Amino acid sequence: MMVTVSEKPVVPAQAHDLNTSGRSRRRRRRVHGGKIVWSIVTHVLLILITLFAIAPLAWAMSSAFKTNSEILTGLNFFPRNPTWDNFAFVLGSTEFPTWLRNSLLVAFGTTFLALIIGSLGGYAMSRWRYRGRALYGNTLLIVQMFPGVMLAIPLFLLLSDYGLIDTLWALLVTYLTFALAFSVWMLKGYFDAIPREIEEAALIDGANRMQILWRIVLPLAGPGITTVAVFTFLLAWNEFFFAYVFLASPGKYTLSIGMYSFIQQFTTQWGNIMAAGTLTTLPVLIFFFVLQRALTRGLVSGAMKG
Amino acid sequence: MSLEETQVQTAGTHQRPYIQAPSGKGRMRAHIRKHAMPYLLILPSLLFLVAIEFYPLGVGLLEAFKYHNRVQPWATQYNGIDNFVKAFNDHTVRIALRTSFVMVFGIVGLSYLLGLLSGVLLNQRLRLRGVYRALILIPWVAPPVVSFISWQWMLNDQSGIINRILINLGIIGEFDPILWLADPTLAMVSIIVVGTWSRFPFMMITVLAALSAIPDDLNEAAAVDGATPFQTFRHITFPLILPVSVIATLLQAIWVFNDFGLPFVLTGGGPANATTPLILLAYKEAFQRFNIGYGTSLAVISMVLMLALGAVYLRLQAKQQGEMS
Repeated sequence: MMVTVSEKPVVPAQAHDLNTSGRSRRRRRRVHGGKIVWSIVTHVLLILITLFAIAPLAWAMSSAFKTNSEILTGLNFFPRNPTWDNFAFVLGSTEFPTWLRNSLLVAFGTTFLALIIGSLGGYAMSRWRYRGRALYGNTLLIVQMFPGVMLAIPLFLLLSDYGLIDTLWALLVTYLTFALAFSVWMLKGYFDAIPREIEEAALIDGANRMQILWRIVLPLAGPGITTVAVFTFLLAWNEFFFAYVFLASPGKYTLSIGMYSFIQQFTTQWGNIMAAGTLTTLPVLIFFFVLQRALTRGLVSGAMKG
Repeated sequence: MSLEETQVQTAGTHQRPYIQAPSGKGRMRAHIRKHAMPYLLILPSLLFLVAIEFYPLGVGLLEAFKYHNRVQPWATQYNGIDNFVKAFNDHTVRIALRTSFVMVFGIVGLSYLLGLLSGVLLNQRLRLRGVYRALILIPWVAPPVVSFISWQWMLNDQSGIINRILINLGIIGEFDPILWLADPTLAMVSIIVVGTWSRFPFMMITVLAALSAIPDDLNEAAAVDGATPFQTFRHITFPLILPVSVIATLLQAIWVFNDFGLPFVLTGGGPANATTPLILLAYKEAFQRFNIGYGTSLAVISMVLMLALGAVYLRLQAKQQGEMS
């Protein structure tokens, strides 16, 4: 850039012009130097922020591979004698595998149902104007502001009455309901973008609305489905409060409750706790990194909608 | 769905009734079909909303006006606004409310600033941009319990890495650890730092999304006019991302106010009640002291506060959507 500036033939028509171009050249050089400094500053700041962001989980993961003595004395980040012992202990001698199974059941069940029920609602929001439409849409948003504790106390009483307390079903229906706002609004947005002509053609060919939704609209809303699926999965996988309130017996725990019970049980065996934490986090991170782009785009617009 | 199959007519959208409805009985059926369909579609979600949100909410609202203690269920009875009167005179509630507000202001404020900074930094043509962004988003997707447990360990005054590093650097004495979680003030600081950590990535992507919607020529025009980058940011960029920022901040305030996991896992609300926000106090009353009635009334108080914020949020949301379309 500097080269082009100096090579640019300056026509000395007027002294005034010459003067300004000289000034602008100096200025550009300064700006360019400033750019390098700014880029260094940018990277330094971003590295610091990134370190802050990843520190706790990075530390947890590195500790998961350390021996107990190294954990208690060492300051090093990378394990000196990496060991699988902590993982072996967690997977072999605790109820972790059961919790993993429970979490998978709840998360996949919630995701599956949220997609079905959410796409029905989203389709109604996208293709029809009807009395109560705005009320329905706003209700979905408003219920998200209900404090969990407000719902948890009566839900606990109700679910106890129906014998559903301490079951995974209790979590499934609760998470499903919480995921509805996002799924309905998100999928509505994706359905809106699908041209109606396709459906009209199918209608003329004699397809009914449900067939159109399942066979034509949903396949076309693929990225929306992915976003809703991952979001719902994360919600169910990460949720702590309701699981803590609803589940009583260790055999029913999901991973987040299991993790919490670990710090009660193995207070100082950080290696084991961190191995469990690593195993709990890993599926989420893999999911996230694979689908990162679609996910962040979807989640931002979804969050901004509700 | 058999009716549907015979029906090729006006099951279309509100905007385009593309085929004329037949006359007579068929039209009647078409009319019902057309108007019933959206309600059938939203029915399942409505059922869950009623069963899991509104019915419990109603029960909860009633509970808030009851004396109901699970230890003495026979004594359950309506007691008017006694619970609320008790709450307003309860010193712990006042402290919890203050804690809630300190948490909300601290966490939302700091996470917005940090999110804004990261967003602005990442909104440049930059090497490793995607890598930074992905890594910074980790706190947002990772299971909160795992993160908070890890933080709890890092902040532990005996075995935590932070104190051990400080001792190693000679900044603090070996027998004089900083009580990150055991000192009332520091515990609050720790809560705010960890809360900021868990919340700022959301702010960052929100800011980033808003920034990417600003056309480049706007900034270029400002630069041509001789504005410094700071002036451009202050007078052009920031006003443009302000609406989205306000909404994100409001949402975040609601989430932080309702956040149970952070204080519960990180400090357990302690030492004493120093880091117990209202939401945690409601939980403790209801589930640890079995005061269902009183606990619910505290939850109702926090809900009313949040609904006020929520109303503002919906208003702004509607306003912004109106502007966009």
